[in-house]
Amino acid sequence: MELTRLNWNCAMTEDRLSDYLDGLLNAEERGAFESHRNGCEACAALVERVSGVVQNLHALPAVVEPPHLVYAILDATIGPRKVKEGWRAWFRWLRPVWQPQFAYGALTVLVTFGVLSHALGVQWQKPTLADLTPAAMVRNVNRHAHLAYARSSKFVSDLRIVYEIQTRLRPETEPEPEPAHTPAPGQSNGPAPREPHDTNRVNQMSHGFAETAVLFEQLVPRRLP
Amino acid sequence: MEPDTQLVQLCLKGDSSAWEDLVRRHTRRVYGLCYRFTSSRHEAEDLTQEVFLRVFRTLGSYNAIHGGFATWMTSLTRNLLIDHYRRTKRDRLTDSMDDAMPELEEKPAAGRRPDQIALLGELSRQVQQALGKLSPELREAVILRDLQGLDYQEIQTALQVPEGTVKSRINRGRIELARVLEQMGVRAQ
Repeated sequence: MELTRLNWNCAMTEDRLSDYLDGLLNAEERGAFESHRNGCEACAALVERVSGVVQNLHALPAVVEPPHLVYAILDATIGPRKVKEGWRAWFRWLRPVWQPQFAYGALTVLVTFGVLSHALGVQWQKPTLADLTPAAMVRNVNRHAHLAYARSSKFVSDLRIVYEIQTRLRPETEPEPEPAHTPAPGQSNGPAPREPHDTNRVNQMSHGFAETAVLFEQLVPRRLP
Repeated sequence: MEPDTQLVQLCLKGDSSAWEDLVRRHTRRVYGLCYRFTSSRHEAEDLTQEVFLRVFRTLGSYNAIHGGFATWMTSLTRNLLIDHYRRTKRDRLTDSMDDAMPELEEKPAAGRRPDQIALLGELSRQVQQALGKLSPELREAVILRDLQGLDYQEIQTALQVPEGTVKSRINRGRIELARVLEQMGVRAQ
């Protein structure tokens, strides 16, 4: 009997679904299967659902065995392996130290120690016992704190001057004449007309240059050693 | 001659490094099969060890004429899993997973983005939950076909059942798995 959409039913679709998905149907069966699926909403949904699940299963990566499992199997079957002896065995205890985590930790501790000792005023080139007394440490910390404060305030002050100079030297752009336009319905006429003193730039620029010259005089001696 | 068959012959001559190679080649597959079947990392580890112990003892009975070494191991693993399932049936109160998912294999060549890897991890966990709700016959058929990638002939050899039964179990297993996943609110991606 020839297979057609008419004699292919839902039960057949369910029975042969995996054959269809795995490409095991012949051309005639495949044609009847697809023809029935296209006309049957329930079968179309079933095919789509199962096909999606199969695709998902095929996309899943393999689960990874724990690393110790292979060694456990080898130990249980052929016994524990011989440990490599030799001069390397003497340095086996150093293995954890070679780990990158340990190196990062050690470096961090070293840097912290260096910063702290510098702040405490310890001179490692010429170490003296006097450097380690609490009074000397407090004095050094106090000195460093004041120095740091003074340097930072000088830096901020310099920055402020430079900023002021830049602001005054920046060429001010003339406002472009606005094109005449008629406001759209519901819109205002735009900003109010400028005051006369806003447009008088000449006086302002001359004042600006005079102030800049004074600021330069203040700034230049500061930069000398 | 297949590499596995060569390794088996070397093992039978007492070459321990050949045995080590054989263990390394097949541990992941056997562990994956055990984990997907039991949903427990600890049970999967114990069962994998048990499989290799049995293989070690009965290696001499392997005959390449009757199928590949991997199929022979799968058959052995499957028999142990069914024994284990029957033995622990009374102890099993729930079918939920008793511990976290193991890591999934990373394939750099696949070029997957981190979000895709995370999605696959979540999907793997959901599939594992759904597999636990299938009967052992349907579960093993789906695992062998769709997760281990065996063909129908290999599954027939491993399960020692007729081809029609293999096809029927795979088909019913897939439909049942899709139904369970749909009930769990998992949609195909």
